[in-house]
Amino acid sequence: MTASPAGAAARRGKVPFEQAVRRRTLASGARLFVLENHFNPTVAVSGSLNAGPLYAPPDRRLVAGVTAGELAKGTTRRTKLEIAEELESRGASFSIAAGSSDPVGVDVAAAALSRDVEVLLDVLAEVLREPVFPRDELEKEQMRLVGVLREQQDQTSVRAFEAASRRLYPPGHPFHRRRAEERIAVIESLDREELRRFYEERYGASTLILVVVGDVDSDRILDGLERRLGSWKSGPPADVPKPAPVAPAPGSETVAMPDKASADVVLAQPGDLDRLDPEYLACVLANSALGQSSLTSRLGVRVRDTEGLTYGIHSGFAATHLAGPFAVSLTVKPESRDAAVGATLEEIRRFVREGMTVKELADEQSSHIGRYKVDLGSNGGIAHAIDAAVYYGFGISYLDEFPALVAGVTKEEADAAFARRVDPEKFTIVSAGTFQQ
Amino acid sequence: MGTDHGLQIGIADRNGSPVNRGLSPEFEFVKEQAGIREFRVRSNGLRVLLLRNTVAPVATFCVVYHVGSRNEAVGHTGATHLLEHLMFKGTPDFDRENGTAVAAVLEALGARFNATTWFDRTNYYETIPSDRIETAIRIEASRMRGAYLRDSDRVPEMTVVRNEYERGENSPFQVLYKETFATAFREHPYHHPTIGWRADIEGVTTARLKEFYDVFYHPNNATAMLIGDFEEADALAMIERDFGRIPPSQRPIPEVYTFEPPQQGERRFTVRRTAQVAWTALSWRTVAARHPDTPALAVLGNVLGGGLTARLHLALVETSLALSVTVVPWQLRDPALFSVFAPVRPGVEPGIVEKTIRAEAARVAAEGVTEAEARKARTQIEAEVIFERDSTDQVAASLSEAIAVADWEWYADYPDLVRRVTTDDLRRVAATYFVDDGLTCGLYLPKEPPAA
Repeated sequence: MTASPAGAAARRGKVPFEQAVRRRTLASGARLFVLENHFNPTVAVSGSLNAGPLYAPPDRRLVAGVTAGELAKGTTRRTKLEIAEELESRGASFSIAAGSSDPVGVDVAAAALSRDVEVLLDVLAEVLREPVFPRDELEKEQMRLVGVLREQQDQTSVRAFEAASRRLYPPGHPFHRRRAEERIAVIESLDREELRRFYEERYGASTLILVVVGDVDSDRILDGLERRLGSWKSGPPADVPKPAPVAPAPGSETVAMPDKASADVVLAQPGDLDRLDPEYLACVLANSALGQSSLTSRLGVRVRDTEGLTYGIHSGFAATHLAGPFAVSLTVKPESRDAAVGATLEEIRRFVREGMTVKELADEQSSHIGRYKVDLGSNGGIAHAIDAAVYYGFGISYLDEFPALVAGVTKEEADAAFARRVDPEKFTIVSAGTFQQ
Repeated sequence: MGTDHGLQIGIADRNGSPVNRGLSPEFEFVKEQAGIREFRVRSNGLRVLLLRNTVAPVATFCVVYHVGSRNEAVGHTGATHLLEHLMFKGTPDFDRENGTAVAAVLEALGARFNATTWFDRTNYYETIPSDRIETAIRIEASRMRGAYLRDSDRVPEMTVVRNEYERGENSPFQVLYKETFATAFREHPYHHPTIGWRADIEGVTTARLKEFYDVFYHPNNATAMLIGDFEEADALAMIERDFGRIPPSQRPIPEVYTFEPPQQGERRFTVRRTAQVAWTALSWRTVAARHPDTPALAVLGNVLGGGLTARLHLALVETSLALSVTVVPWQLRDPALFSVFAPVRPGVEPGIVEKTIRAEAARVAAEGVTEAEARKARTQIEAEVIFERDSTDQVAASLSEAIAVADWEWYADYPDLVRRVTTDDLRRVAATYFVDDGLTCGLYLPKEPPAA
C-alpha cells in the first residue's frame, strides 16, 4: 500500500474535498465520484437514483421498493444465488433499496475488500442494467413480504407511525401508509410485468450518482464505471413532483395492542421543511436543542432524565427532496403516557415561545461541526456524505463549506425558522400499546 | 496476524517507532502486537492500550471495566446496567448543576458516545475530534471513582431503565434470547439477563449499587484504550495526569466461581403472546471464548448463517419456511451457546422450522462441509475484521469484547486462528456440540387477542 495524499489529506481537512474528489459525468447523465484513501484495503460505494415510491402509482407505492429489491434476484447472465455467491465468497456486501423515509431515491450501498472492487462494480452494473425479475423469485418474495409485514404489525412503533401517517396525509400521498391488509393485497397482486414496466420507465443513468471511496486508483475506477455504464440509456429526467401541501390534523388516536409492556407515542404534524430549504440548517440546529438526543436535548432532559418517564424520546424533521412530517416519538410504560405527553407538549410550547438559549445554539453548532468530522472518519461515511451532497444538488464543495454554514446560523434565524414550522397546538397524537380503558 | 492483512499503524509511523523512548517512569511498557501497544500504570494497575490510526482527525477513547451481569445474583440482577446509567448523573467535575453534565459536554463536542453493559463487562466510550481527546480522558477518569450515585438520581433513572426493559419485552427476539439463557443456564449467572429481572430493577437500593461501584470500579479492574489520531507521548501524559493519581482497590476484585454443570438432556420452553408471527430458537451449549474450538464455531456460524448462500438460509428462507434466520455463536468469558433464531412464515407449522434446523445441524455433524463453504466463511470473517478498521469506534467495540471474554492478544490473533480452521475442524465441532443433550429449544407462539 502506498501513502494516500488526496484522500487522507481531505479527511484531515488539509486539501478541500472539492479538489480531492475526482469526478466524471457521462453523456448519459450518470455522475461518478472517486476519493482515494489507501489507509485500509477496503472500498465503500454509495449511490442513488430517482426510482422511489414517489414515482409508483399512488395506490401501489410499494411497487418501487419491491422492484429495487428484485434487481439482484437474477440477471440475463446469472441467478440470484450465483450473484450472492460471487459477493459472499469475498466477504463483500451489496444492497439496492428504496429508503423508508425518502420517497424519491433508491439507495445503493456496497463494500468490499479493495482487491475485489472490479467484481463489485461488475455486479453493480449487471443488476442495474440487466435484471430479469424471475417469476419464482418474485413469488418467494411476495410470501416473505407478507410475513415481514405481519411481523411489523406486532411492533408498537410501526403501528403508531402508520396510524399517524394516515391521519396526517390523504390516501395516495407519498407519506400516507395504507393499512396492512390493503398493502398485503397489493403485494399478492404483483406480477413481474408490473415490476418490469416500472423498471423500464424509471431506471436509467440520468439521475444515477455513484461514489467510490477507498483503496482504489481513481482513473481505473472512473474508466471502469464508464465502460460498464456508458451505454446505459438515460431514462427519465430528474423531476421531483411535489405533492400538494397538507394542513395539520390535530387530534389523537389509540391503537390497542394486547400484551405490550411498552407503548409507543408519536406526536406529528406536517413539517413543511425540505432539504433544500434555505432554513434547513437553522431548523435542524433548533430541533437538536429541542429533541435530537435523549440524554441532552430539552425533551430528553425533562421527560427522561428528570421525570424518568421514557427510555427514549426524539424529535426530527423528515426533510428530503420532499417536506416530510415533523415528529416526536417516545416509548413509555402505558400508565405513564398522559404524564409523558403532557411534559413533552409543555417543553415544546416553552421552546417555541422562548426560543433556544445562546449557549444551546453554541453547543449545537459545535456539536454538529464535531459530529461531522466524526462521521467522515470512515470510507462509508465519506461516500455517503458525497452522495448526499450531490443528490441534493449542493456539489462537493458543500463538504468543505458545511462547518462555516453551521457556524453562520444565528439564534434569531433558528428560533424564527422553527416557530414558523412547528405549532405545539397542532399535533396529531397517536399511541400504540396496551392501555387500560 | 498475517502480513497481508497486518494492521497499518498510520502513515506517520511507517518508519517504526521506538519501544519506550522517553516513557514516563509511571508507565511500564508491556508489549506490542499488531500495532497495539500495551502499557501498565505502575501505581494502580490500570492497563492502557494504544492503537494509532491517523487517517482521519478522530479518536475513540474507551474504558472497559471487568464487571457485567455475570457478577450479579438474585436481588441485584441488572445492577451493573443500572449503575452504568447512574454514571452519567455527575461527578464533582462534571455536574449538571454547573452546566457540565457528562452527556452535555460530550454532545457539544460532537462526540459519538455511550456506555454499554453486557454479560462480562461494562464499557464507556466516546469518539471525538482528535483535538478533544483530553476531555474524554478527563471525564472517564473523573467517573472511575468520583460518581455521585445519589438516591435522587436513581429514582427517576430506575423508571428509565424499566422502560428499557419494557421495550425489550416487546421484542420476540429479546424475549426468546432471555428465556433461552434462563433455561440453558441454571446455576451460572448467565441465567439472568443483563437488563435484570423487573422486580430487581425496581427494588435494588442505591446503597447496593454503591457497594457494586466500590467493589468493581477501580483502575486495577479496568482497561483504558485510545484508538485513532494522537501522539503517543501526549496521550500517555494525559492518561497519567488524570488516571495516575487514582489508587488501586484496597481489596482484591472478587472472582466468579460458579460454573454450569453439563446439561444432561434436551430442554424446552414456550412463550405465548398476542402476535401474528411465531419464532423459534435453538441453542446448543458450547465453550468459553478462550477455548481452541471458538474460531471453528465462529466459522460454522457463517457456514450456517452468513448470507443468502449459507446452509440455513437455503434450507429455511429459500424454501419459504422462515422469514429470515440469524445464527449467533456467542463468545463469552464462560461457556456459552450456539444459537439459531428464525421468525416462522405465517401459515407454516413452527415445528417444521425446528426440525429443519436440527436436520441441518445433524448433516454438518455427519457429513461435514465443503472446502468452498469453509473458505467462504473464513473469508467473510477476515473481511469483517478488515472493514472494522475503517472506523476507530468499531475497533474499540471489538477490542472491548476481546478484553472482556479473553484478552486483547486474542483480538490480534483472531484472524490467524480463523484462517487455520479446516473442514475437519468444522465437522468435529459440529459433532461435538450439536447434540440433543445440550440443546435448548424455544418457541414463541401467537395466541388469539383477548375478546374486546
